[in-house]
Amino acid sequence: MSITSDLLRGHTDTIILAGLFTGDSYGYEINKAIQQKTNGRYELKEATLYSAFRRLEEAGDISSYWGDETTGARRRYYTITETGRETYTRLMAEWKSAKAMIDSLIELEEKKNG
Amino acid sequence: MDEKLRRYVEGLFVDVPQNKSMIELKEEMIQNLKEKYEDLIQEGKTEEAAYNIAIAGIGDISELINDLDKTKEEAGNTDKQKSAMLTSVAVMLYILSIVPILLSLQSYHIFDGLIGFIVIITFATGILIYNGQIKQKYYRADDTMVEEFKEWQKKRADKTKARISISVALWSIIVALYFIISFSTFAWHISWTIFILGIAIEALINIFFIIKK
Repeated sequence: MSITSDLLRGHTDTIILAGLFTGDSYGYEINKAIQQKTNGRYELKEATLYSAFRRLEEAGDISSYWGDETTGARRRYYTITETGRETYTRLMAEWKSAKAMIDSLIELEEKKNG
Repeated sequence: MDEKLRRYVEGLFVDVPQNKSMIELKEEMIQNLKEKYEDLIQEGKTEEAAYNIAIAGIGDISELINDLDKTKEEAGNTDKQKSAMLTSVAVMLYILSIVPILLSLQSYHIFDGLIGFIVIITFATGILIYNGQIKQKYYRADDTMVEEFKEWQKKRADKTKARISISVALWSIIVALYFIISFSTFAWHISWTIFILGIAIEALINIFFIIKK
């Protein structure tokens, strides 16, 4: 499990960009979606989430605005920018090639041992 | 329970300066925690359990707070430095504005000297007005009366500053015009009335500010 969460943590930016790719969202909604997609096995710490938001915003990958909810506190929404979409595509390509590489390395190792 | 969550988050931010990005982060956290808490209650958790789960999900926020603290401090300092520099330049220009007049007195081209004087004064005043415009707005820390008052106070001070800048510009121009007209027409007996005109314009500006309020 710790390998899994370490791996996942390394892809926080990609996960958030993927969550925003199809539409604007806010912190809790993004985290809830992550939880649902992983059947409750994974969820980001809020500190990790906000750090990632600030980092991505500084890099110009996302931008934020306050919602106009009439009741209660306002939500801070995030939008993916054009740069963000490019970053997502690049990170996705990197992950795919890394995944293929790791797969081939691990499978080869297993065969030798077997 | 909303208050309890708010108090907990406020506690995390107790030792840090309340600048804009810090307050925004705090509000964002509180809002997200509230929604999480409400969802947990809906799932059938007890209030106590829901509160604890929500709080446990925050993780270590101290590093993020430190980062925000540093970046904002730097930004605030450069703003102040910029503002101080602009003010110094404007004051320097006001002092230097006398130079063309002094030079022109020697060469008997008093008219050119006055034009130089007006140009410099206008420029300096422009800088002062610009400086007044770029000053940061006061950002309300919360929705209390005190904060509202502070914001109002800051707004009023900004307005006063803009008015003073306009006044300075107006009177500089009037003095310059007085000399230009007097030296070029030698109608000294009548040219002083321009100051009465100045008072009238000043009064109109005052009325404008009052109406705008």
